Amino acid sequence: MDLENEKIGPAYNAPDSYFKESESRLLQRLGIDINSPEAAAPKIESTKPLEVLMKVDTTGIQKRARKQDPQTSKSVGVDKEVDAFGKVEIAPLTFTTNENPEWVNFSAISEETIGSSDSLNITKVTYGDLLNPVDETTEIKTEDSEILETELAVSEIPVPEIIASESLIAEPAELIPTEMESELIQVESAVIEVQSEGIESIETIELTVPVIAEGLLEEKIELPDSIIIHEVPDSVGLDELESYIAPINKPKSPVIEEIFQQDEPQIVNLEAPATAFAPIAGRQKESATPGWLGVAASLAAIVAAYFIWNAIQPPKAEEAMATELQQEEPTAIELPLDEPASPKDTIPDGLQLVEPLITGDMPKYKEPNVYTIIDAKEMPPRTKRALQDLEDNGLATFDMEDEMFEELDFESL
Amino acid sequence: MSVDTANAKNMSETQRLQNLSEDDFSIELVTSGATASLFVEIVRRYQQQIYYHCRNLLLSHDDADDAAQNTFIKVWQNANQFKGDSRLRTWVYRIATNESINLIRKRKPTIDFDEAQPEMADMITEDLYLSGDDISLKLQKALCYLPFKQKLVFTLRYFEDLTYEEIAVLTSTSEGALKASYHHAVKKLEIYLSVLR
Repeated sequence: MDLENEKIGPAYNAPDSYFKESESRLLQRLGIDINSPEAAAPKIESTKPLEVLMKVDTTGIQKRARKQDPQTSKSVGVDKEVDAFGKVEIAPLTFTTNENPEWVNFSAISEETIGSSDSLNITKVTYGDLLNPVDETTEIKTEDSEILETELAVSEIPVPEIIASESLIAEPAELIPTEMESELIQVESAVIEVQSEGIESIETIELTVPVIAEGLLEEKIELPDSIIIHEVPDSVGLDELESYIAPINKPKSPVIEEIFQQDEPQIVNLEAPATAFAPIAGRQKESATPGWLGVAASLAAIVAAYFIWNAIQPPKAEEAMATELQQEEPTAIELPLDEPASPKDTIPDGLQLVEPLITGDMPKYKEPNVYTIIDAKEMPPRTKRALQDLEDNGLATFDMEDEMFEELDFESL
Repeated sequence: MSVDTANAKNMSETQRLQNLSEDDFSIELVTSGATASLFVEIVRRYQQQIYYHCRNLLLSHDDADDAAQNTFIKVWQNANQFKGDSRLRTWVYRIATNESINLIRKRKPTIDFDEAQPEMADMITEDLYLSGDDISLKLQKALCYLPFKQKLVFTLRYFEDLTYEEIAVLTSTSEGALKASYHHAVKKLEIYLSVLR
C-alpha cells in the first residue's frame, strides 16, 4: 500500500453541531459576549481592578493569632483583621539587634532595595531615637490599586547603652564622638490579600520603604551615666544583663580610651608570668622525707622478693642431687704428673670452672646404664661377680630383683 | 447607539475578519490586540483542525474536547503575547500539542514518548464521531505502533497538511529530521497496514 499516493481520510468526523456547541461553551467559560466586540483579551501583566475581585466571606476565619518574639521566644497573641475583601492586617513586628546582630545583616540590604518602593518597610532607629521617640504615621499605598494600607508606628523599647570595652574593635566610621547606636528594625504592618480561586492574577504586596537612619547617626546625644558590660555571653538575655554591668562615674568614648592607650608608655615585664591559675600540684613544697629512705625501701623489697621466690620453689629431688654430684666428679680427674702441661693450665684460676665450656670438650651427659635382671637368684656366682665388677667400675648399674631388700611395710612403722 | 446599529456594526466587523487571509489576520491580531470578535474568529477558523489534531493524538473524544477547550482558553489568555514571529496557525497548533502532551502525561505519568503505545489502539474501537471507514480506522490503529514524535509529524503532515517549515517551528526540530521521521513513519505504517489487512 502506498500511503503517499492513496490518501486516507481522517477517522473522525464530528458534526457541526458539536463545534457550535463547543464554541458557545468556550465563550461562556471565558465570559465573552459576541455582541460586544470591545471586550479585550486579558493582559497578564495588568492587574485586575478592585471591582473584579470577588468578595470573600470571612466568617469563620481565625482572627486571633500568635506572634513569637525572636529575642525572648515568647509568643503573644495578636489580632488579625480580615475585612470583606480578604485583607489580613498584621500588627507591627519590632525587634532589636543588640543581642544577636547576626539576625539582620544590614550590609546585605542594598541601597536599591531600601530605596525601592517595592520592598518592606525597614527602618533603622538609633538609641537616640528611642530617647526621643518620633511618632510618625505613614500611609502606604500601592500604585495601581488602593488595596494596601499600612500604618507606621515607631514603638519604643528601652535598650541599655553599651560602651565598647577594650576587647571591642570599632570601625573608623563608627568612631564619631557619639555613643554606640543600638539599631532597631521595624517591620511595618502589612496587608495580605486573600483571593478566591476564580481570580487568575494575584496581587503582589508592595510596601514603600522610608529610611530614617542616616541623619540620626550623626547626632550627638547627651546621655546619663553609662554602664560597661564585660564579656557578656551570647546566651545572656536582656533580663540577665544587669548582673554583668557595673556603673562608672565618668563615661569615656572609645576614641579617648584608644588615644590614652597609645600614649602611655608600656612597661615590659620580663619576669615569669604569674601562676595564679597554675595547678595546685605545681605549687606544692618539697617533701620532708629524705631521699635515701626510698632507695632503702626499694632494696628491701627486692631482697624480700628474692627470699619469697626461693621459699616457694619446690625442693630438689634426691636423684637430681646425685646426678649433679656425678657430673661434678669428672672435673676432679687427677692427671699423671709426667704428662706435659696442657693448654688447659693456661686458663686463669678464676675461669677454671667454665673450662669445659671454653675448650669445647665438655662430655655429654649420659643416662646411667641401669639394667634390670629379673632372675638374679638363678644366676651363677661367676656371672654375679662379673656384674659386680661392672658396677664397681661405674660402667653399669644392675637392678637385681634378688630380694636383697625387703619391701617397706608402712603399716609396721 | 441602538441595538440594531450595534449588531449591524458587529456583523460587518465579523464579515471583515472572515475575509482576511491568515497573514492579514495575524497582523490584525498583533496591531489591534485581541478582541472578542478576533478571538471568535480564531475559534471558528481553527476549532475543527485543533479538535482533530488533539483527537489524533489522544484518540478519546473527551480528552480531545478538553484539550481543544484548554487550547483556546490559553489562546485567549495569551493572545496579547503573540508577536507574529510565526504563523498564527502554527502558534495555535503548538499550544494544542502541548495541551495534548500534558493530558497524556496526566493520564499516564510513566509514559515514554520514545516508545510506541499499541495498547491505545483499543480506544479507537468504539467512541464518538468515528467516520466508520475501515481503512481510516486501521490507519489510526497503525499510528499507535509509532513513537509519539513520528505519530505527531505524520499527523500534522498527512492529515493537517502543515508544511515541513511549520512543523519544524511547531516541534522545534530541523526540517531534515522531520522529513526523515515522516519517511520512517510512512514506511512503518505501510507495513502495519499490509499486516492488518
